[in-house]
Amino acid sequence: MPTSHWADEPLDDDPEDSFVRPYTITHGRTVSARGDLTLITIIVALTPPEEQFAARGLEPEHRAILEQCRRPVALAEIAARLDLPVAVTKILVGDLITLGTVAARPPVALAVGQRPDIGLLQAVRDGLRRL
Amino acid sequence: MGYDDSDRRGGPARPAPAAVKFLIAGGFGVGKTTMVASVSEVEPLRTEEYLTVASVGVDDIAGVGDKDTTTVAMDFGRITVSPELVVYLFGTPGQERFWFMWDDLVHGALGAVVIADTRRLDTSFGSIDFFENRGIPFVVGVNSFDGCQDRTVPEIREALDLDPHVPVLVGDLRQRSASRDVLLALVDYLETAAF
Repeated sequence: MPTSHWADEPLDDDPEDSFVRPYTITHGRTVSARGDLTLITIIVALTPPEEQFAARGLEPEHRAILEQCRRPVALAEIAARLDLPVAVTKILVGDLITLGTVAARPPVALAVGQRPDIGLLQAVRDGLRRL
Repeated sequence: MGYDDSDRRGGPARPAPAAVKFLIAGGFGVGKTTMVASVSEVEPLRTEEYLTVASVGVDDIAGVGDKDTTTVAMDFGRITVSPELVVYLFGTPGQERFWFMWDDLVHGALGAVVIADTRRLDTSFGSIDFFENRGIPFVVGVNSFDGCQDRTVPEIREALDLDPHVPVLVGDLRQRSASRDVLLALVDYLETAAF
């Protein structure tokens, strides 16, 4: 268990390492063409990654993402496990969606000021009670 | 919902679950990551987001220099409720003034927990203001380390200027049971639709 609250601390931010290089991976793109990807959009590979590695034009990071989403996984988890910024991850996942190698499921739609679906709340409650 | 083509070649190996999230907010060092860790089925993960923010009064030549990029970091965890539903818990970064430009923060958020430290209640104001303004339901979890509790719930409620219907819970949020109870109170609150 972490002993400090490191999300609050100033980041050890080497621009060479953490900013410039990721955008080299994306060939200079800084914004995903797909505006619908979110932190908790669930990404899942459509075919076994090994069958897709022959696909041309894939960066090593694309392949790493395909490995990560053999099982459904949130975009934020992919970013965290591959140590990529969220914005870069969105661009690369967008590439894979365009190629048809992964599918994306958006988060549950929730309307501000309205009670969420009772069935959804009951499922969450059941899950919490099992903790 | 889900994918109805999952048994076809080219379909996903298994249907993707639906996802929702809870936001865990509060001031610096108040115990956000600790709470995430106490209920998450995985070690908290960390992710970084670059936000583009307008900066005022900077040398603005031909559109260059009118935007700044700031980096925010979040720790998050996961609770798999069922093969159809996953709940994520995101510890929000402290820079509340940036949250308004960050739609992704609240995307799919069922509600929020504002963790309060009775010695520094003012550090909770930014989160409370944000959730009230965005219409995101929240409960307040007062983190009582080692059972230390120097202010009563009514005192805390008044100091935070909370609406009467906002639940306030006290507990040691390092403990899974205490964190779970705060989240269950949030689910109960969501169901009452009193917000």
